[in-house]
Order: sequence, then structure tokens, then C-alpha cells
Amino acid sequence: MFRETLIGAWSLLVGMKVTLSHILRAPVTSQYPRERIEMSKAYRNVIRLIEIEEIGSHDCIDCQACVRVCPSDCINVEGERPDGMRKKRATLFEVEFALCSECGLCLDVCPTNTLGYSREYDQAGFRRDDFLYDLLDEWRDKEEGVRTRLREEEAQKAATKAAAASKVTAARKAKDEAAAKEEGPAAAGDAGNSAAEGEA
Amino acid sequence: MMRPKSTMELVPGDDETYYLNMGPQHPSTHGVLRLRLHLEGERILGAEPVIGYGHRAHEKMAENRDYLQFLPNTSRIDYLSGMIYNLGYCQAIEKAMQIEVPERAEYIRVICAELNRLTSHLLWLGTYLLDLGGFTPFLYAFDDREKLLDILDSVTGSRLTYCYGRFGGVSMDVDDTFLRAAADYCTYFRKRLDEYHALVTHNIIFRHRTKGVGVMGPELALDYGVSGPCLRAAGVARDLRKDEPYGIYDRFAFDIVTAEGGDCFARHMVRMGEMEQSLNIIEQAVGGIPDGPVLAPKVPKRIRPPAGEHYFAVESARGHFGMYLRSDGTDVPVRLKLRTPSFVHVATMPVVLPGTMLADTVAILGSIDIVIPEIDR
Repeated sequence: MFRETLIGAWSLLVGMKVTLSHILRAPVTSQYPRERIEMSKAYRNVIRLIEIEEIGSHDCIDCQACVRVCPSDCINVEGERPDGMRKKRATLFEVEFALCSECGLCLDVCPTNTLGYSREYDQAGFRRDDFLYDLLDEWRDKEEGVRTRLREEEAQKAATKAAAASKVTAARKAKDEAAAKEEGPAAAGDAGNSAAEGEA
Repeated sequence: MMRPKSTMELVPGDDETYYLNMGPQHPSTHGVLRLRLHLEGERILGAEPVIGYGHRAHEKMAENRDYLQFLPNTSRIDYLSGMIYNLGYCQAIEKAMQIEVPERAEYIRVICAELNRLTSHLLWLGTYLLDLGGFTPFLYAFDDREKLLDILDSVTGSRLTYCYGRFGGVSMDVDDTFLRAAADYCTYFRKRLDEYHALVTHNIIFRHRTKGVGVMGPELALDYGVSGPCLRAAGVARDLRKDEPYGIYDRFAFDIVTAEGGDCFARHMVRMGEMEQSLNIIEQAVGGIPDGPVLAPKVPKRIRPPAGEHYFAVESARGHFGMYLRSDGTDVPVRLKLRTPSFVHVATMPVVLPGTMLADTVAILGSIDIVIPEIDR
């Protein structure tokens, strides 16, 4: 019994030595509201549309891939095909963050890689609407300019393509005529093939 | 098979005994678990766990969404070792569909799973000591755990609900900073383990409160299907990482930690030993990680495991986590049964608790390390 008391007292002293050695160490608590914490590089929060360099804005093409993959059903995207453009542009991108579980599946499926994470971390609200994020908000002023530029680019592309196509048609015509002069239907097939190559 | 004696019926004319509801809101249950206790003075005559307060129907949710969409659920079944569950689910689907995982991803998985096991055991250590009335180790353990969570956060972007695994790999590659941080932590934590032993294991009060309390012998443990640290504390050397190696666990040298006695102290010793083994695994994995991709190049866009039954199990921080999947070849499972360890462990309470004192209930319940959402899933 006496032995056990001694061992017990010794064990408490050993424990006290550990706690005493901690007294001199710097405190580990960060004083949160007064001290901002740097979030990690991979930090996940509400999604946002990030800038794609070639576009000069976001590149959401309203493909609905994120809407379909979302397990919480919290993304709502609408889009339109602007006049004179082949590509679609998003006109509405809403995220109901209160439902989001931050799984990141939407980022995985985005074909244009225009989704990223926001760096905020202390969102708090009093109403449900406070968590309804309009992701297009920061891009809206630029949208008209972006569309004009994209339209021009597309038109230019279409023009070069049309020029190339007309060249091919001209070549085909010439070849057809030459073939018609020389031989019958067998050569027509070859002409078709070369036209296909030209388009490719 | 040992069966609990039914002492829960009210006996008319019995004025000596009484019934007590411990929970559903009780700090020592770490969640919402209700224990219905039959007491004679302070001695427990019978105990009956009442579960279901945290039920979120994960298994049913799995039947209503496709395989990928169930991923965020997996780290919420057991929120303390979410990474192991998350990666385990990915491995289950990969096994069913025979998807090859790149080497680098396998190593990352092992590192992250073991780091997660450490966080889980550390939280257990802290809260268990808090249950027993020791406040200081709780602060130390949570500080150490916070450092680990920062490391995991730097690669997964989340502290608890990781959702890091993907079918065929992991969602993001790790950098050298992460690997160095993991290796540095191992050196740091070995020293800390000695401190914990000095502060907790050798403490006379802790020993008196846990030695010979809540004995779960090997026979009882095997009868009930107890697994993980609780089973190993009963002296049965069973660890899925060794016995049925999944992933690349067969490449690492580590021991199955066992203890004799099956009491609360034995469970403490097993968890402390397991933390050390986890450090060994992490160090080996960090040393041997190859370069390469972290996601398999040819993962089918639509996940459709072949029709039939598939089973896969991993060793979580709490024990044997099994997934039984019934697929009909479509992209939604017919049934996904989740076999979780805490559910089994809490089922032993009607046998383990009778005969002990009311104050020991907290010590016993804490030592089996239950996570309520995992019981109810």
C-alpha cells in the first residue's frame, strides 16, 4: 500500500513535469476575430467563376455538367446563344451555398475549367438568401465587351474557314472538270476524298 | 453466444432498484446516444442502448444517386476518420469495376489514411481524458490534432469532410511541402507520444480508473463481431491491413498492436501503439513515393459496376468498415449496406456494463470510441 502511494505520487510528479515544461512554450491559440488566418492553397468554399485568359472573363458555356453532377442540387445555370455566336454564354449562375457540401465534383466535370473556389471563410448570415450566391455578379459589366470580341473572333474564324472552304470547292470544281474530260465516274470518288481531306 | 440478461422489465413491488436515462444529451456520449440503465444504488444491473437519434439514411441516399454523387456522404458516416471511409468507398468501386490505380495515388492514399487515423486516435485520447476528468491532455491532443488537420487541409482543402478520393486515384496531387510536413510531423510526434505516456499512461489515477474496468474478453468480442482496437485489446491479433491487405498495405512493415486484458487500459495501450505504427507507415510511404499521375487515365465516365454482389472492407480507426454493394449494372446501386464498427461495439454494452458502477459507464463508453453518426448512418 505504501509502495503504491509512492509510485502514485511519483507518477503525478512526472506528469507535472510535462505540464510545467509546457508553461514556457508559446501559446498555440490564434486570436481569430482579431487575427486573420491564412487559408490553405487547396481550401474549398463556395465556388466562383474564374477568369480564363483567352476570354478575358469567365468561360461558362451553360453545358449543365455541374448542375447534373451536383449531389446537393444547389447549382442553377441558365444560358443563351448570343446573336451571331455559335458558343453559348451563361446568363444566370446561382449557387445556394446553404445546401452545398463542398465536395468539388463540379470542378472536376467543368469542361472549360472556369470553376474555382472562393477564398472567403467566415460567411455568416441571418437569412437563407444570404447564402444565395450570384456568381455572374462580378463579370456582368464586362459581359457586353466580351461578347462583342468573341463575336468578332468567331466571325473572323468563320471567314477564314469560308475562304478555305471556297478554295477547296474551286479546286474540286477544277479537278472535276479535268476528270470529266479524261475519264468517267471512277475519278469522281477520288475527288470526293480530296475534298474531305481539305475540310479536315 | 453470450446474451445480455434482460433486466429492463419493471418488477412490481421492487423499490430498491430504479431506472435512469443517460442521454440522449449527455456530454460523455459525444453525440446523441441514450443509455437506459437499470440501477441498484450505483451498481448497474442492466443497460440498453437506444440509438437512432442521429440517423441520416446514408444507405438509402446511396440508392437514390449515382456512385459519384455518394462520395461526399462517405466522409460524413464517420466524421473522425472520413478519409479512410472516403478512400475505402473508392477502392470498393475500383475493385468492382477493376480500375487500376496509379502507384503515386496509392502511396498518397496510404499517407492520408494514416494521418487521418492519427487525428482520430488523438481526438479519442483528448476527449477520453476529458471524460475521466483530465483537462490538460485534452488541450495537448487537440493541439497535435490541429497540426495534422492543417497538413491534411493543405492537400484536400478540408478539415474533416475530405471527399479527396476519386474513382481511379485522388482528386489532387501532393507537393513536396506536404510530404516534408508529414515526415516532420512523425519526428515531432514520436517525442509527443513519450509525453503522453508520462502524462497519461503512467498516471496513477488514470490507471486506477481504467484497469480491470469494462472487460471485453476475446470470446465476447469475437461473438459480437467487435473489431479494430477493441478486438486487439482483447488479445486477438486481427487487422485488415495485415490480414486482408488492400491497396498497397502489404508493402509496409508494421506490427499489429495487441494487449491483454480487454479492459479500458488495454484499449488505451492499443490505440497509443497504433499511433506509433501509423507513424512507421507514413515514414515508409513518404520515403518510397514515386512520381507519376494521381488519377487513372481510363476511368469510365459512367460508373456502372457489373451486375451482382461486391464486398470490400477496410480497417478504419474504429475497426472493420465493410461495404456490401448490390449492383444491377446501372449507374445507381440497388443496395449499399455499410457495416460500421461502432454499431457493433455499442451492441456489447448490455453485456459489458452490468456489474460495473455508474461512474465507470463513462470510462467504458469512452474507451470503445463510438461515433454516433456511424452507429446510425
